[in-house]
Amino acid sequence: MSNSVNISVETTCENQIREIAYDGTELYQPPPTLSESLAKCAARIDFSKTSLDDLKKEEKSAAAAEDKEDKDNQFQESLWPWDAVRNKLKDAYTEICVLSDVISIAKDKRYLVLDPLLEDGDDTKAIVQVYSRKKALSQAAQVLLGGAERLRTAHSEQRSRNVSDFHIELLRLRQNWRLKKVSNGAIIGDLSYRTAGSKFGMSGTFEVTKAEDTLDEEGGAGTSATASAASSASSSNNGMQLKASSALRVIVPAELQGVAYIKVITQKDQEDLCTAQVNLMGHGPNITAQVGVWQKTLEFAQNVLFCKELFAQLAREAIQLQAPIPHVVIGNQIRATLLPNIQLIISLCHSTSFDSSQPAPINDHDHVLEHSLHQLLREVHYKNSHHPFPHPASAPLGPSKKRMLAGPTAADREALLDMTKTQTILEQIIAQAQHIFMRKRTQYVLDTLARDVKDPQIVSHWNAMNSPTMSCVKINIVTHGYDAIGRTSLVIHVKERSLKCICRDGRVMRLSYEPQELRDLILCQINSHQISCLVSLARCMAWTVLSNSNHLGIGKVEPLGNASSCLLASPNSDRMIAVQIRCDPQIDVKVYIARSPRQDFFPSPLVPEKFWENLGGNFKEVRFDKIEGKSFLNKMEFLMASLTSNTA
Amino acid sequence: MGVTVLQPYPLPEGKSGAHIIDHLGKRLLSLGATHAGQFLVDCETFISTPQHGTPTRAVHVLHDSEFPASTFSIIDNGTGKQVALVADAIFDLLMLKMTSTFTSKKQTKIESRGARFEYGDFVIKLGSVTMMEHFKGILIEIEYRPCITLSYCWEMIREMLQGFLGINVAKEYPTYFTTQTIMNAMGQQQLHAKQNDLYEPMDTVKQYLEHFTNYRKHVQLHGGLGSSGLSVNGPVLMPSTVVGVGMGRS
Repeated sequence: MSNSVNISVETTCENQIREIAYDGTELYQPPPTLSESLAKCAARIDFSKTSLDDLKKEEKSAAAAEDKEDKDNQFQESLWPWDAVRNKLKDAYTEICVLSDVISIAKDKRYLVLDPLLEDGDDTKAIVQVYSRKKALSQAAQVLLGGAERLRTAHSEQRSRNVSDFHIELLRLRQNWRLKKVSNGAIIGDLSYRTAGSKFGMSGTFEVTKAEDTLDEEGGAGTSATASAASSASSSNNGMQLKASSALRVIVPAELQGVAYIKVITQKDQEDLCTAQVNLMGHGPNITAQVGVWQKTLEFAQNVLFCKELFAQLAREAIQLQAPIPHVVIGNQIRATLLPNIQLIISLCHSTSFDSSQPAPINDHDHVLEHSLHQLLREVHYKNSHHPFPHPASAPLGPSKKRMLAGPTAADREALLDMTKTQTILEQIIAQAQHIFMRKRTQYVLDTLARDVKDPQIVSHWNAMNSPTMSCVKINIVTHGYDAIGRTSLVIHVKERSLKCICRDGRVMRLSYEPQELRDLILCQINSHQISCLVSLARCMAWTVLSNSNHLGIGKVEPLGNASSCLLASPNSDRMIAVQIRCDPQIDVKVYIARSPRQDFFPSPLVPEKFWENLGGNFKEVRFDKIEGKSFLNKMEFLMASLTSNTA
Repeated sequence: MGVTVLQPYPLPEGKSGAHIIDHLGKRLLSLGATHAGQFLVDCETFISTPQHGTPTRAVHVLHDSEFPASTFSIIDNGTGKQVALVADAIFDLLMLKMTSTFTSKKQTKIESRGARFEYGDFVIKLGSVTMMEHFKGILIEIEYRPCITLSYCWEMIREMLQGFLGINVAKEYPTYFTTQTIMNAMGQQQLHAKQNDLYEPMDTVKQYLEHFTNYRKHVQLHGGLGSSGLSVNGPVLMPSTVVGVGMGRS
C-alpha cells in the first residue's frame, strides 16, 4: 500500500461557451448526449466510397462540403440527423438494382450483348509509313524548289538586265553628293563649295533625272553632257570597264561642262623653266567604275568650278594689287613679274570637248606650286567659315585669338602691326615662286662653284625643313687633308628676293638676287680661307707669321676687292715666304721666297759694313704651279718643309 | 620687347623743360636717330572709400602707348604690398563701374608725354612729366630691344645714356632693380636679384609708377616747404599754363 498511488483520470470536461452574459457569467453548451454523438458519427459514413484513397479524397471534399453544409444547416436545422444516412443507403441500393438488371439482360443476349474489345494492332505495315513519309517530303521539296526557282529567275533577270535600278543609283549618288527634292518633283543637287566656306557667285546646281527607257548604249554623242554620251566617249578613251549607261542622268550647267585645270608656268625670256598644273582629279578610275559615269561628270564639273573660282580670285587680286611692275590680266592668263626677266604665268585652261588626247604631262611638273594654290584657296574657304570663338562670350566676334590675347599679354606696337598684315593669294604664290626660283639659282651657283674650284672643297648642307618662303644652307670650305687646320663656314638664308649671309665671325651680308654676287662672296671666302689656313699651318710647322692682311690695296683695282697676303719667316729666320692671293676672277696665287743673309751683298763705299747683308735679299718668285702637292696648303707645306734648314 | 630703364633728367637752373627736350632731341637726331612718333604714359589713381579698421587702398591704372592694346593696374593695399595686373583696354570701362568702392582722385592724374626716337637697337623717349597741366620734370626712357635681362646690357645702356645725356649715371642698378629679400618656396629669406630676371612690360609700368609717385611726393614735400621747391619754378617759360608755386600743391 505504501508504493502505490491513486491516479484519477478525468476528461477536461470543458464545454463550448455558448454565451457570455453582461455580468460575466458564462453559459456553457451542454455536452452532446449519446444519441446525438451516434447520429453525428453515422452521418459521416459515405457508402459510395470503398477504398482508402477515396476516403482521403472524401475527407478533403468533406471539409469543403462541411462549410457548405454549415451554411445549409442554418436553413435546415429541423431535418432529422439520420436523413443523410438513409439517402446514401437508398442510392447505394438503387445502384445495385440497376447493376443486377443490366447483367440479367446481358445474359439473355436478346437486347444487350457483351463483346470483348479488340486490341489495337501496334505494327502497321512498314511500307505504308515509308510511302506516307515520302509523300510528305516530296510536298515539302516542291514548295522549296518553287521558291528557289522564283529567286533564281529574279536574280538572273536583274543581272541580265545590266542596268541598275534607278533608286539604287540614286542612293549611291546621295552618298557622295548633296541632293534635295524640289516642289515639282525634280531632284536638284549642289556641287559647289558653299558649305565649305566659298563665297563664289557661280552656282553649282545640277539636276538628276531618270534616263530614257530605250537605253542607247552605242548612241550618238549628244551635245549635252549626258551620262550616256560621256560614257561612250570615255569608255573608248580610257578603256575602262564602264557600264555603258546608267539608270540616272545628271545635267550640269553649261558653264561647268568640260575639263579645266590651272597651269602655272615660270617663264624666263620666252623659255619655259618650270610648270605646274592644278587639278583636283586625285581620284583613280576605280571609284567611278563602281558608282557610275555620273560620278566622273560631277567631279569634272566640280573641278571646273574650283578652277574658275581660283582664277577669278587671282584675277581680282592682280587688278587690285599695286606692284612695282603691274600685273597683267589678259583673257584667261595672269602675268606677274617675279624678278627682272622672270615671269609667272597663271592660266586657266578649260576644254569643253571631250577629246581623247589629254595634254601630255609636262615634264617640270611642280607639285609644290600646284598644292600651294589649292591649299591657299582652301585656307580662304576655311577662314570664311570658321571664326574663332571669343572668350568671354560677350567679346566681339571677329578678331583672331592672337589679337584677343594681345591685351592681357601686353603685346607691343610691332606685334600688333604684324597682326594686321595679311597677304592675298596672289602675293603668297608670287612669294613662293620667287623663293623657289632663288633657291634653284643658289643651288646652281653653289654646285658650279663646287665643281669648278677643286682646291678648297666647298661643301653645302641644305636644311631639310624649310618654309615656303625661306630655306637655309650651311657652307663649309675645307681643304682636303687639312680639315683640322682650319675650316671656313657660313650660313646663307635664301629668302624670296634676297640672300642673307652670316659668317663665322659674325658679319652679316645681304645680297640681292643676282647670282654673281653670291659667286663673288664665295670666292672671297675661299681667298680668306686659304690665308687663314696657311697661318695655322705655319704655326704647326714652327714658322713665324710676320704679318698677314685681308686687303692689301696693291695692284690694279679689282671688282672683287683686293689681294690678301701673308708673310712667313722660317724657324731660323733665314728664309722668308711671301704669299699673295687674288681672286681675279680666278684664284691666283703668287709665292715669293727670300733668303737672309743675302748672297749678293758687296760692300760699297755707301754701305761698307758686312752685317748689312743680314737685312735680307730680294724676293724671288716661285713657280708655284710646278711644285709638288695636291692643293695649295699641301704645296705650302712642302715648300716650308724644304726651306727649313737643320742648322740651329 | 626689350629692357627698359627710366632716367630722370635733372633740370639745370634757368632753363625750361621744353628747351631742354628740344636740345636733347636735336642731339639725338644729329647722332643719327630717327624720330618715330610720339608716346604717352599716363597714370590715374583711385582711392577706396575709407572704412574703419582697414587702411585705404589705392588702385593705379596706367596706360602706355607702346602697348596700345593693354591697360595696367596696380593695387596698393596700404601696407606696402602691390598686386599688378595686365588687362585688355576694356578694363577702363570696368573701373567706371567701380565708382561706389573707388573714387578717382582726379587731381593726381599724371602723365609723361613726348617724342620717340629709334636709334639702331635702342628706342629713346624724351618725356616731360606733367600733372594737371603742371610741369614736373623730364623723364627719359631708354629701351634696348634685343636683350631681355638687365644684367647683360646694363653697362651698354649706361654708356649710351651717359653719351647723349652728358650727365653721370650711377654705376649701381636703378632703384627698381635693387636686391630684395623675399621668402622662397621653403619659407626662408632669400636675396633676390631683380636684374637677373626676365624683363616684362609690367616692369616698365612699375618703374613709371615709382617715378610718378616720387614726383607726387616732391610736390607734397615742396608744397609743404613753400616756395621754389621745384626746380622749374621762377621767372622762366613754362610749357603749360602754370603760373606760380601755389599751383604746385595737389
